[in-house]
Amino acid sequence: MTDARGRIQAAFADAAVTGWLHARDIDSGAQVDAGGDQEVCTGSVHKLCLLVALHHAAAEGRLDLAEQTECPPAGRTPGPTGLAAMLDPVRMSLRDMAYLMAAVSDNAAADALLERVGLDAVNHATARLGLTRTRAVHTFGEILTSIREDAGPGGAQALADPHVVSRLRALDPAGTNRSTPREMTGLLGAVWRDEACTPEHGAAIRRLLALQVWPHRLASGFPFDDVRVAGKTGTLPTLRNEVGVVEYPDGGRYAVAVFTRTPNTAATLPAADAAVGTAARIAVDALRSL
Amino acid sequence: MDLVRHVECFVAVAEESHFGRAAARLGMAQPPLSQRIQRLEKELGVRLFDRSSRQVAVTEAGALLLADARDMLARAEALRATARRIRHGETGLLRAALPPDLAGETVAALLADFGHRHPGLVLEVHELTTAQQLARFAAHELDVGVIHHPCDVTGLEVGEILRSELGVLLPGGAEAAARDEVPLSLLDGYDLILFPRSCAPASYDDLLTMCARNGYTPAAVRHGQGAGFVRGLILSAWAARATEGSGGAGAVAFAPRDAVAAAAPPAEPGPAPDRSGASGASGVVWRPLAGAPLALRHSAAWPRGRADAAVRAFGEAAARALRATAGATADEPGRRTHLRPASEFWL
Repeated sequence: MTDARGRIQAAFADAAVTGWLHARDIDSGAQVDAGGDQEVCTGSVHKLCLLVALHHAAAEGRLDLAEQTECPPAGRTPGPTGLAAMLDPVRMSLRDMAYLMAAVSDNAAADALLERVGLDAVNHATARLGLTRTRAVHTFGEILTSIREDAGPGGAQALADPHVVSRLRALDPAGTNRSTPREMTGLLGAVWRDEACTPEHGAAIRRLLALQVWPHRLASGFPFDDVRVAGKTGTLPTLRNEVGVVEYPDGGRYAVAVFTRTPNTAATLPAADAAVGTAARIAVDALRSL
Repeated sequence: MDLVRHVECFVAVAEESHFGRAAARLGMAQPPLSQRIQRLEKELGVRLFDRSSRQVAVTEAGALLLADARDMLARAEALRATARRIRHGETGLLRAALPPDLAGETVAALLADFGHRHPGLVLEVHELTTAQQLARFAAHELDVGVIHHPCDVTGLEVGEILRSELGVLLPGGAEAAARDEVPLSLLDGYDLILFPRSCAPASYDDLLTMCARNGYTPAAVRHGQGAGFVRGLILSAWAARATEGSGGAGAVAFAPRDAVAAAAPPAEPGPAPDRSGASGASGVVWRPLAGAPLALRHSAAWPRGRADAAVRAFGEAAARALRATAGATADEPGRRTHLRPASEFWL
């Protein structure tokens, strides 16, 4: 295990990132811990918590997942995917919005759901599972607004300046949506063991996480047709995160949470994305060899 | 009650979720640790831990207090560090660091300027790489330093970022050496001699990415750092090419303008004498790169919230020295940034 920790740190260093990882065998509870208790900014990883809260609310009869919701273009939270990138009025069910939020990290769909569910309910859903260090304090739109304010008139280009990055409030875990790698694998374990929700709702969450389109992070570490990877990414300037579950055909299933930060302020860093998968693979291989 | 010491115990137990492990981390026995937690709970009138289960769990109230507790410990440490500095002499001691690759003139100008403006202050200067400086900042053993970017600036504040343009060192006989400015794409086919990646992986990757972006993807990267060693590799690669008549074009390296004076005989970098090639004074010439695509980026840095007059003065002296002696200029906002969909955030 110590060896795995060292190799994970080496993989992070090799990709020029600082990283924190926690992995656990969902059934045996065995763990790999490489900075698992570090407080981290979750970014879009918190959409996983929202997804669990949404299904918890549905299970309690507080809302109906098939309920139709209007999402007008005015006031939509911006983003590069899904409803956030669309121009015209949209009407769709809560569960289809949840699909867009999980599959392409749709910021507009996420905030529409968050408005319906409420921040308190998201925090209640994680607290009732014993996650004391996981907390949502902002909507996704509010996080983007704070980045825009802190970046100033230079926009995305200004984020190349280490000065600007060092003053981004969105990168201070104490003041934004946060968790720890250990708590995120705890949450995933609960979802996969049907402890977070009823089996019917658990299955719906697992389906959505497996529909995520991104191949560059967690999934890149498992280039095997017979291995299923389900996950949720999170990205903010210099931060590249993903939490997810890797399932092998022999029944082995492993929750992995990887949070990274790069000194380089560039937006496009494929090696840093791939390091998430590389580190996760080392952890999963270590758990499988126990 | 020593609130700081008690809060330290609270944070340790919360982070370890275990009294035994927390006690080991604090270097104390378990019974006094339990007593301290009980005293703190009494003092605050709040139950911090749920001890019913086998593992110790933070209560909701404890979780709400944890961020403030961590903040309080960090501030207490900052207070102690400042007092330590003031204690070291009537006017104070400033612990500063400079990276080993700064030119001698830059170091001398910085120290002279700072000493002139703050004659009363005792300056303790260390030669430390960026990685070493970051470790000392984290350990509260350093007040201010000059670091290379990109690096992880978590917990730091940085001064003005300055860029020192890099040029290319190449064999005097190479076709590209006949130019006043060398486009990076013209180096295609040359091997590259670069510092070992482990020294600064982010800078290393950034340099290779900028080379690729400008049409130069070296066939091989060889590692070397010392000025003499790099020079030797360039010369030997050129000689091997000439004698063997092999397809290889030789090797090149990148260096700032100010490094040339240190690395080369006095005749350089004047372009004329070296145009003749390997028979010139040294056989290695320095040329600027067309469009200045590559640069070293420096700035002063200090722990967040710890900038007093001395720290600021050192940062300003460093910037003045880099501008005056190393031709450093303000780091202009660089290329356009096209955020791709996987970036998830959007401005």
